[in-house]
Amino acid sequence: MTDSESRAGDFKRHVEPEIEVLLRVARTLTGSWADAEDLVQETLVRAFRAIDRFDGRYPRAWLLTILRNTNANMHRRQRPDLFAGGDVPEGQRPAFGAAPPATVEDEALYGRLEAGLEAALRDLDPRFRQVVVLVDIDQLSYAEAARTLGVPVGTVMSRLHRARNRLRKALLVQPPEGSPS
Amino acid sequence: MITSARMLWTCHWSSRRIQRYLDAERGVPLSADEARRLEQHLAICEHCAALADEHRLLRRVLDNLSQRTAPAPDAVGRLHERLDRIIAEQSP
Repeated sequence: MTDSESRAGDFKRHVEPEIEVLLRVARTLTGSWADAEDLVQETLVRAFRAIDRFDGRYPRAWLLTILRNTNANMHRRQRPDLFAGGDVPEGQRPAFGAAPPATVEDEALYGRLEAGLEAALRDLDPRFRQVVVLVDIDQLSYAEAARTLGVPVGTVMSRLHRARNRLRKALLVQPPEGSPS
Repeated sequence: MITSARMLWTCHWSSRRIQRYLDAERGVPLSADEARRLEQHLAICEHCAALADEHRLLRRVLDNLSQRTAPAPDAVGRLHERLDRIIAEQSP
């Protein structure tokens, strides 16, 4: 196997499992799926050029750093709108998505709670919303979220703590089933 | 008096750690001693046990939202194809 083939193989092995999470995080950073796809494509190009400097450890963390820097370069003049429900109109479910809740009762309950939760997410300060979306929706670890945002882990922890407490309180004041909204 | 003040302090201590306890490996895990102390408190304090339940509910709703907002498979597929093209184009 040539060096070039080995390099290509290493790159593919490190990057392929991370594509979906990169796309999720890019969506969080840019506010749109179309921009997210562009951002991930550019990230992949830059990552491939930098593969020789990557030590093979923590590929997700490495890619998230490149994603963050690429986003800063590509969207320097744009203000991110982090999971503001921009392409999920209020009260509607997105067309894509995965497993529905287990039962009809669960679906009704979660549907009601989710509507309130999405509204509460929109009401959060963007810095808090960003962290809760990265950790709880995009499923990053605290350390990965910190790397994505370029902030210390302690900052992620404190923002997450406050954001979740606000969301938790918002869930508690959901109107009873059947009441007018 | 001392007992209730201690209980209040333990509630405060616990409320600051419930999220990390539930996040476990995703976050900065509590030490074994901290986790044990929190579990002991949750077993006897209704208020903090209810708080933990509320965080579990929030987590379930967020998990459900996470599943529903997964990227479209077409978009993921396009990026996999793009990855192959990048490797083909940029390899000497």
